Amino acid sequence: MNTDDLIKSLGSELTPLPRGYLTRQIATGLLAGLVGTSALFVAFWGVRSDLIGIVSDLALFAKTVLPLVLACLALFWLHATARPAGRSGATRLIWGIPLALILLVAMTLVTTPGDAWPMALRGKSIVTCLISIPVLSVPILIGLLAALRRGAPEHPALCGAVAGLGAGAAAATVYSVYCIENSPLFYASWYSLAVLAVAGCGGILGYFFLRW
Amino acid sequence: MTDELDDMGRTREDRWASLLRDANAGGRASYVQFLNDIAPVLRGIIAARCGRPKEDCEDILQNVLIAIHEKRHTWRDGEPVGPWAYAIARYKTVDAMRLSMRRPTVSYDGTELDIVDEASHDPTAAADLDRLLGKLDATSALIVRQIRLEGRTAEEVGRTLGMTPGAVRVALHRAMAKLSALAVADQTEQSGKARE
Repeated sequence: MNTDDLIKSLGSELTPLPRGYLTRQIATGLLAGLVGTSALFVAFWGVRSDLIGIVSDLALFAKTVLPLVLACLALFWLHATARPAGRSGATRLIWGIPLALILLVAMTLVTTPGDAWPMALRGKSIVTCLISIPVLSVPILIGLLAALRRGAPEHPALCGAVAGLGAGAAAATVYSVYCIENSPLFYASWYSLAVLAVAGCGGILGYFFLRW
Repeated sequence: MTDELDDMGRTREDRWASLLRDANAGGRASYVQFLNDIAPVLRGIIAARCGRPKEDCEDILQNVLIAIHEKRHTWRDGEPVGPWAYAIARYKTVDAMRLSMRRPTVSYDGTELDIVDEASHDPTAAADLDRLLGKLDATSALIVRQIRLEGRTAEEVGRTLGMTPGAVRVALHRAMAKLSALAVADQTEQSGKARE
């Protein structure tokens, strides 16, 4: 077929676009995923009983707020990676999260006696944490990847990894209100590991499912 | 590099943005003008990337134009159009080159697909074609059959399928590209079997 004919055909096939189409798709995928994750969480995890102290305790507060901020930044970054030549300021802001974690860990190391470090790091629920966060992230990751099929990522693996980062961080946020660990040494290590694992899985899935 | 070039780039960018904005609101004339305007630029980019003469890159260009069409919602008003379209062209060129490296003789423009022409008089070719068409979805296979084999027009086929002629032509283009890829894969498979 001749290119001019193709252009004419494409022109005759044109339909008006709804505004913010891709954003709405991603928001819908995220929302559907969050509903699934919340249902799972209420059914199998539940909120810890002494949560009231969360706002007064900086370390406890950060356990929920840091992943929440990370999830939001990852979503902005995601919206950029899903579009050709897409850009977002969130890409740079996201480095604030590891920075904040390092500061928090350093503060904890200073205020905790050295012989208490291993116990704080080990906590009581490494396995639960490493299983729960990935499991809770599954509905969100599925929702995001499904929405991203409508996108056009230049680097499908990167786009999938960012979706995994967002899904993992959102799952960590939800899990944090169940988790009984209070030490930043614990969550800075194991939450991060779990979220990065989800990002890795997202990258692999993206490589295969986000091609266009 | 010079002010003049910079200025030209900026006015072109503005024109594209306003055409595409118009197109996204449903303006067909603006859309066709946008595609016609950007096609030569894309052709240059694709040729530079794939290192083949421009004529050979026409099939990739057509894939890029279809991709721009299908992904036009990924351009955000306020962001530059050029880099967006060039990124799509780069992605599709790399994609096509990766495919052609895996299958050295793949042809995307289905017009060289001899099997379709042979099918009308050669019974083995007809059987082969049937098998390949079976791997396409039903609508695509029907469109290829009716237009390529029975010589009907896109308008006629569109009426029976309830599609616009444009949509039929785009579907035909995609089906033929897919069919050529299938045919080449099939050939490689067969020659592989023959070697064993």
